[in-house]
Amino acid sequence: MEFIAFAIATAVALQAMKGYTLTRERTLLYLNISFLLLGAGLLVDGLANLVVLLSRFHRNFIYLSRLGYTIDFLAQLVAYTILVVVYVQQTRTWSGQIAVAALPIALLESNPFTELILIFLLTYISAQTAINYNISRTTNSLLVFGAFASLALAHVFFLLFTVAPIFFPFAHISQLFGCFLLLGMLFRVNQTR
Amino acid sequence: MIPDGQAPAAIPAAKYRSQFRIFVDIMRVIQREGNEAKPTRILYGANLSHDRLVKYLEELKELGVIQESGSNEKVYGLTQKGVDCLNSFRKVEAFAGAFGFKI
Repeated sequence: MEFIAFAIATAVALQAMKGYTLTRERTLLYLNISFLLLGAGLLVDGLANLVVLLSRFHRNFIYLSRLGYTIDFLAQLVAYTILVVVYVQQTRTWSGQIAVAALPIALLESNPFTELILIFLLTYISAQTAINYNISRTTNSLLVFGAFASLALAHVFFLLFTVAPIFFPFAHISQLFGCFLLLGMLFRVNQTR
Repeated sequence: MIPDGQAPAAIPAAKYRSQFRIFVDIMRVIQREGNEAKPTRILYGANLSHDRLVKYLEELKELGVIQESGSNEKVYGLTQKGVDCLNSFRKVEAFAGAFGFKI
């Protein structure tokens, strides 16, 4: 599943790069970097899990899974933070900027679950994309909102997985669904005439 | 639902247009005029002063995206490269618009 998500994230990054090459708009460059990071994190996590699986959970390789998860988490943290900063810059609300800067720190200090930080960032991005859909009412913006909302839900399931293993498949299905919504948006964009 | 690409931007428009955005606006006016646009139509359509219009039209000709024709009165049309460029821009605009970014 990580490899499919990696391919879709890379496709979105390439589309953003194409746009940046044409227009030199910095928001597209940040979008490109953000999705490249997401893709890289997913690839590392996927490869780490694959090695652990192929080694039949040999104890010498178990640490790789944890390392892969950590790298994926850090990549996601940076990627979503970039997106949040871009949205905050676009809306230019200082109160929003302060809230964005303060909350992850508060979460880091008060909560052991790193997933909560990603949930917070993704919820903010989902809210911004929902506002965008509410104004533009286009199918593409609905797909992007759906994608980020699904990714946020996936991290809620990943968080719940720490208390109940049953949520693990739901997390992956939700993550994959979000990626497919982004893929749908890409197809629609490339059919634009 | 309204068609993509024609939707209003979610984020307020930037105060100043980038040079690329002005190029696109000029090319759009030319296309809207049936690929035969007089300078006056472009001037009003792209909201430019005469001096800036002359400068940008020269730059677009050098880039090979528009061509000049007409003996008495100049008429501008898009080249194939210009049409391709405008189509690529529409895709980029739809892509950025999906995320709520105005370009």
